Amino acid sequence: MKARANDIEERLLVEAAQRDPARFTDLYEANFERVYAFVSRRVHARADVEDITAEVFQHALENLPRFEWRGVPFVAWLYRIAANAVADRWQYLARESGRPATEDRSVEFDHEEIERTERRARIFGNVAKLPAEQRRVIEMRFAEEKSIAEIAKALGKSSGAVKQLQHRAYTKLREQALKGFAGKAGGRNG
Amino acid sequence: MARHTPAEKFNRALERQLSTPKALFTALEPGEIRAAGTTPLPSLTHALRDIPREGFKERLRLNLERRAKMATRTQAAPEARASATPYLSVRNAAAALEFYKKAFGAIEVMRLMQPDGRVGHAQIDIEGARIMLADEFPEFGFKSPESLGGSSVHINLDVKDVDAMAQRAVAAGANIVRPVEDQFYGARSGQFRDPFGFIWSISTHKETLSNEEMQRRIDEMSRTDAVAPPKKYIREGFHSITPYLVVPRVAQLIEFLKGAFGAEERFRVNRPGTEVIMHAELKIGDSMIEMADANEQFQPTPATMILHVGEVDAVYDRALQAGASPSQPVTDQDYGARGGSVRDVSGNTWHISKPAPGNTIFKDYRSVTPHFNPLRAPAMIDFLKKAFGAEETYRAQSPDGVVHHAQVRIGDSVIGMGEAHGPYQPAPATLHLYVPDADALYDRALRAGATSIQPVAEQPYGDRSGGVTDPFGNRWFIATHIRDAAL
Repeated sequence: MKARANDIEERLLVEAAQRDPARFTDLYEANFERVYAFVSRRVHARADVEDITAEVFQHALENLPRFEWRGVPFVAWLYRIAANAVADRWQYLARESGRPATEDRSVEFDHEEIERTERRARIFGNVAKLPAEQRRVIEMRFAEEKSIAEIAKALGKSSGAVKQLQHRAYTKLREQALKGFAGKAGGRNG
Repeated sequence: MARHTPAEKFNRALERQLSTPKALFTALEPGEIRAAGTTPLPSLTHALRDIPREGFKERLRLNLERRAKMATRTQAAPEARASATPYLSVRNAAAALEFYKKAFGAIEVMRLMQPDGRVGHAQIDIEGARIMLADEFPEFGFKSPESLGGSSVHINLDVKDVDAMAQRAVAAGANIVRPVEDQFYGARSGQFRDPFGFIWSISTHKETLSNEEMQRRIDEMSRTDAVAPPKKYIREGFHSITPYLVVPRVAQLIEFLKGAFGAEERFRVNRPGTEVIMHAELKIGDSMIEMADANEQFQPTPATMILHVGEVDAVYDRALQAGASPSQPVTDQDYGARGGSVRDVSGNTWHISKPAPGNTIFKDYRSVTPHFNPLRAPAMIDFLKKAFGAEETYRAQSPDGVVHHAQVRIGDSVIGMGEAHGPYQPAPATLHLYVPDADALYDRALRAGATSIQPVAEQPYGDRSGGVTDPFGNRWFIATHIRDAAL
């Protein structure tokens, strides 16, 4: 039932944005993490991930008038745009480095793949909702690969305090990730 | 003790995971569910390494909102439902209809006649564009450009082929205001005046440009040496009215003006091999004056000018020393100014004057203001109103009807006059008049009773100008500055 309600809501959002491009922001907010998750699983340099994510949404905004609702979730269209953009980037990178590029542009949109992307997107969403200090520690520790000592210096805190923040934030994220997973797999929370 | 806190243990386990290369782990695996409650999950650790940078989501959102706004603007235009149709009031609509057919290939859609023979309403179609027109009906407040001295509205005509249309229009009798050329904003266009006083901007869209490209072209235009079109119809430094002294001995006159009034010579051209000056321009205070030696074609018209100065007595003495002859000694005049007059080597009369503090009669006067002595001021004022759209701004008239002093404004300048008496008798002058539409004003002047000296034409120095003589013998050179050109 929830899926159907989501469908209807998404369709309304799409139609609203087609009438008034200013409403595209709603679609963007709802799908940013998914697109970012999809791209980041395939392209590893952060600058490239940001560029491609931006391209995907800019392309979607421009071509929204041509989008026709066919009962398939809007995000599938975004994934297709993203897949093409990623393939273009692989080709470009391969050319730059002299390696032969794969001509294969097909992206497997199997159920598993979509699920994995969704889970990753949820993790991204949860990080954004952490209290500011915890979020900062997570970002510096994981994304920027800084050491505890470096983070402590940057934030003006003791190493012990940083480790506490790290632990607290991670525990919360772990809880949230497992909850989502357990709900689907029917397994027990570990 | 610190080594064994949960946070410490967790961190050590995490360190091990972080030292593993990224590519080995993908998403949360079923086996991870059963992992001990506080250990870091490899897949979660892996995912966290790819989290978006703080602020990126927001920055991209702003970027998309900007683009969405631009998209909305371009979409909005085609939705417009209302239409606007120019409705032209012309003198001789029947002739206008024939002209538009010949010049623009217009198709007459309808025509309704009034009992008095005037066209009450007509409609034409030019490549699908609709224009309505009718004869003027001044009794109802609908006047033609000829009656008004011009039109403040010009019509933009987007056509398939601007060059073909322009050729056709000119062949039919339209005047070129601006020739057809490529514009920086991606269209090709030119401007033309029809014989009825309307200006048509004819255009063909060539290319659609982004804002950046248009800006680039504007920047390039300002960078190059190409002369920029002037923003005003008056040449830089000039005013609406400029005295033009067509007199003998101009070369000496120039020296006199420099010595007596501190004039600055701005420009001079001699007839080759002689001292005869064909045209010269000087600046006295805030006013430009022009001059040229009189000849057979242009008989002398020595002028009377009011010269406002800071120190009347000093300037008067300097003038005499520079070679002027005294005409009236300096006294406090009864109209609230201190002044005296001299006559220069070419026969011009200069009233050197300074209004008393608080005197507002001469508030519109500049450094140099032309002065006339007509036999009857109302006749001259009426003519100036009819011919040039002048406005009477001051009149001092005694009960016996004599106009002692009057002032009339055209554009940004005034001229003064006092009815002829005693030694002050009418003498024709020559004036240079800058107006927004020389062609229209030339026509209007002729209709008001002036006679043609020369029709309006494009001059090599970038003005469109022509000349008329008014019923009082004054010569008016009517001009519109079109483009700055190297003199």
